[in-house]
Amino acid sequence: MDISQVLFYALSAMALGSAIMVVISRNPVHSVLWLIITFFAISGHYILMNAQFLGIVNLIVYAGAIMVLFLFVIMLMNLNAETEPQKNKWLKLAGVVAGGCLLLVLVAALKQAEVKGKVAMLETGDIGLIRNLGKALFTDFVVPFEISSILFLSAMVGAVVIGKK
Amino acid sequence: MILVLMIGILLVGGLTCWLVAQRYPLMGRLIALIAVIIAFLLPVGWYAQYASELTVTGNNWLIDYQVNWIPAFGISFHLAMDGLSFIMILLTFLLGMLSVLCSWNEVREKTGFYFFNLLWTLAGIAGVFVAMDLFLFYFFWEVMLVPMYFLIAIWGDFNRRYAAYKFFIFTQTGGLLMLLAILALYFIHAQQNGGQFTFDYFALLNTTFDNNVTARWIMLGFLIAFVIKLPMVPLHNWLPDAHSEAPTAGSLILAGLLLKTGAYGIIRFVLTLFPEASASIAWWAMLLGVVGIVYGALLAFAQTDLKRLIAYTSVSHMGFVLLGVFAFREIALQGVVMQLLTHGVSTGALFVLAGMLKERLHTRDINQMGGLWTAMPHMGALAMVFVMASLGLPFLGNFIAEFLILMGAFEVSPVLTIIASAGLVLSALYSLRIMQKVFQGQLQTVSEPPKDLSAREWIIMASLTATIIFLGLYPQPVLDTVQGFVAQLARSNL
Amino acid sequence: MTNLQLLALLPFMVLATAAVVVILLIAFKQSHTVIQVTGFFMMCAVVLAMWFVRDTLPREVPPLLVVDGLAALFTGLIIFSVLVVGLLSYIYFEEREENPKEYYILLFLATLGAAVLTISRHFISFFIGLELLSVSLYALIAYLRNRNNAIEAGVKYLMLAALTSAFLLFGMALIYMETGSMEFTAIGNAITKSGTSVLFLMGIGLIVVAIGFKLALVPFHLWAADVYQGAPAPVTAFIATVSKIGVFAVFVRFAQAIHLHENALAVTVLTVIAIACMIAGNVLALMQQNIKRLLAYSSIAHFGYLLVAFLSGDAGVGAGVFYLLAYSITLLSAFGIITLLSTRRKDADELSGYRGLFWRNPLMAAIFTVALLSLAGIPLTAGFPAKFFILTVGVQQHMWLLAVVLVLTSVIGLYYYLRIISTLFASPPLSPAKEKSLHPLFYAATYTSLVVLMFLLAWLGIFPGFIIDNVQEFLVIR
Repeated sequence: MDISQVLFYALSAMALGSAIMVVISRNPVHSVLWLIITFFAISGHYILMNAQFLGIVNLIVYAGAIMVLFLFVIMLMNLNAETEPQKNKWLKLAGVVAGGCLLLVLVAALKQAEVKGKVAMLETGDIGLIRNLGKALFTDFVVPFEISSILFLSAMVGAVVIGKK
Repeated sequence: MILVLMIGILLVGGLTCWLVAQRYPLMGRLIALIAVIIAFLLPVGWYAQYASELTVTGNNWLIDYQVNWIPAFGISFHLAMDGLSFIMILLTFLLGMLSVLCSWNEVREKTGFYFFNLLWTLAGIAGVFVAMDLFLFYFFWEVMLVPMYFLIAIWGDFNRRYAAYKFFIFTQTGGLLMLLAILALYFIHAQQNGGQFTFDYFALLNTTFDNNVTARWIMLGFLIAFVIKLPMVPLHNWLPDAHSEAPTAGSLILAGLLLKTGAYGIIRFVLTLFPEASASIAWWAMLLGVVGIVYGALLAFAQTDLKRLIAYTSVSHMGFVLLGVFAFREIALQGVVMQLLTHGVSTGALFVLAGMLKERLHTRDINQMGGLWTAMPHMGALAMVFVMASLGLPFLGNFIAEFLILMGAFEVSPVLTIIASAGLVLSALYSLRIMQKVFQGQLQTVSEPPKDLSAREWIIMASLTATIIFLGLYPQPVLDTVQGFVAQLARSNL
Repeated sequence: MTNLQLLALLPFMVLATAAVVVILLIAFKQSHTVIQVTGFFMMCAVVLAMWFVRDTLPREVPPLLVVDGLAALFTGLIIFSVLVVGLLSYIYFEEREENPKEYYILLFLATLGAAVLTISRHFISFFIGLELLSVSLYALIAYLRNRNNAIEAGVKYLMLAALTSAFLLFGMALIYMETGSMEFTAIGNAITKSGTSVLFLMGIGLIVVAIGFKLALVPFHLWAADVYQGAPAPVTAFIATVSKIGVFAVFVRFAQAIHLHENALAVTVLTVIAIACMIAGNVLALMQQNIKRLLAYSSIAHFGYLLVAFLSGDAGVGAGVFYLLAYSITLLSAFGIITLLSTRRKDADELSGYRGLFWRNPLMAAIFTVALLSLAGIPLTAGFPAKFFILTVGVQQHMWLLAVVLVLTSVIGLYYYLRIISTLFASPPLSPAKEKSLHPLFYAATYTSLVVLMFLLAWLGIFPGFIIDNVQEFLVIR
């Protein structure tokens, strides 16, 4: 087991563990903090895959900017653990059963599957580098790039509309 | 072309009626009447011209009009008329004129929309009788349904919404099953003929079936739609409600025409398209017909609501139709056609009478009537004629029809025929009960004695009386007209 | 990217420009009327642009997009629906206190999202289009914030849409892992070469979940009624038509590329879903007293019918397009009536409010009746040939079970459509006439467009041949 494998398993364990903590911790502030740790772990995965740019952006944008905003909002709203609404017990049970079934199927499917190891786009292994990424974005993928900028426009307008006054 | 004109006049007349009657209600009624009269005169005038050809050449298609409609699916606008269609068309417009006349004063609100629905129903019925493309046939089948729904749902009696629902849903269920069957037939035909997709009746006549099971299922799809309309006994449930809640003209059209479309469908489509399959269920169909005769008569006897009573007599009379059709004898089939005509006239007349009584007494309950003969001798006499017609008195049309049917059916199944004849005795019971309860006995306390027939009502009743007596005394023209088709049908089904 | 490729994308660029133009108009403090009229003309410009580029089709814009006949058909449908929705919006929003201007930006952006879906042939454009559509819809649904229902509906849609996006991405990832490509045709080729695997099927399943959510197919339909009820009436019309058309378009293209119809498991699953849709949609609609909820359930049923066409494979695409056309016209006229009857405080969604409409306003009642008859699939209206064509392809492919279920559930459907119709024609209650104080021109425009829609329904119902031929002609452009 070489160093990258060790790192992979460690990061995965970290991501999964902190993601679970996001869901089960009662205090929303703690949830956000766990989520930040999850993002860090995922950034580590990006870097392992030789996509340094994505890793850094993920850190700056998600863990840095967005999560801090979240934190502010939650702190300003002063949410307490007591105000959390109680959900129907049966509903919870149904949710657990449904989710468990999905998990079971997924695990079974993944176990069955032999990964054919076609790492099609990643063969050269440097698509995640900033130069290649930029090239791809501004040549082949320019249309979706533009469309995604429109997507942000729509998100922005929507947020302003809902939030004003 | 004349057929297109005939249907077109009704459709356009209906629309103009609606528009005009907003301002001038009387004008709307006149337009409706004139439209139906023109539609009546068109085929009659044409027949007078070509009647000789018909008798000379036997069963031939007199008019055949075909244009492409949706060529991508092999659907054409194909209208054609033979003797059978002609007779049915005649009945349609005769009763159509009377239905316009008898709603002259009855309908007071939204006359324009009323006559629009009336004319469109008539157009749909006329279309059903002449459509020779199965898609077009289904189309007309539905076109007559929707306006009829409105007639019942808007201008009906107290319980009208329930009745209208029931009517629509029953018929539509059958209709959709028929659509499925039509599609199945369409594809089977296309498979056999190398991908020649067509809904044309004459092309589909040549379809042969590999196995009887398929044929029987498809046949049942058609048959269920038709026997719901007819109605056959387990599926008759919609009929009493719809008939009794509908306005007078609605009942007249329902009993006189809509039920006939079911019978027409069986004769025209089920028997010709699926000769073997229909022969294989013939005995059951006859049995259900006989059950209908007896059951309808018994229930009719038990009713106190006059219109409901007449509705159940329809169930009984239509049992004869089913019995006659599935006997596959020429003579029985001729009887069936006669029965369609005479039942349309006689039951229609009874419904009109019930409508007139209701207009005067504001009730349909026969227990609250009685002794009306003294107040309205003319109406009483006319009612007598049609009650007698309904119980099958000789010299009146119904006698001929039922006699021919029983004669034809006797060859096939004596037992069923004997039971059916017992139904005739029962019909005497309920018919006489109408007379006794309504016109004889003690005069019920009414504030002022009701008026006898007005001139308009005289016209309606006189024409119906003349028709029924004529059919009773001299049925030969009708028999001759349908002779060709019926003979061929009986030959191919034996 | 060549000039010709850019040209093929012209309608979509015009559509994006429309949103920007509206932003600029707002910046220059133009009135609602100006924005409305401009938006109308921009949509007309999109139609013109499509007409302009029609001869250059089909044109691929690798690696993500392809503008072919199918795309042109669906985009045309979408633009047509948005034109009508835009017209309806004016009357609806003008009488409300909230500022209606930003609404049009979101409307056009959502339209662009749906339009992108119709031309995408790659997972990336699929995902971006879908997100563009749903992100705009979150805000549109919750646009009238002062109503309780609106926020609830918006949040519900947001939650479930976000969840399904996750499903969609996971499904795409699994398929990418199996086939090494995100392009529909390349996936199809890889699958024909190596056969399907469990992982691949899993991916397909997850994508079907996401699509099923957007189309409100049965196990994923729980949001539909609440969102239909809570959203403003024109937005509901938009969700019911544009958003579903876009998603259906991409689903058709995806299924064609990966030969979904040859996969027995997928066909079985979709058959079960279709049957569940038809039964559940119609049965749930039976007892509804709220018209918007009722239309939500009826649209679930209608997408069940549409799945029958979808399952027929290539033969069914024409029938499906015709069905969507008939369905959009019908629903738009129905929602047009709801919009016209809505008041400042609440939407006209209670069935009791429609009692005796025929005697108060015959024209509206006539339009509504025709629309309902068309939904029920009665001849003389567009719904009949639409349902008929679907039955035709269903029977042709020997899908007897589906055909029979379709027929039987149609009968159930009839019951609740008739219930509304008989309410329209019942004797009216004594209620004060509603007061409106808008410029009569807009009423004239709305009424005219609704009457035009009604005549379109009748025309399609009586002469569907012309449209069918044209649809087939478009479908061969690929």
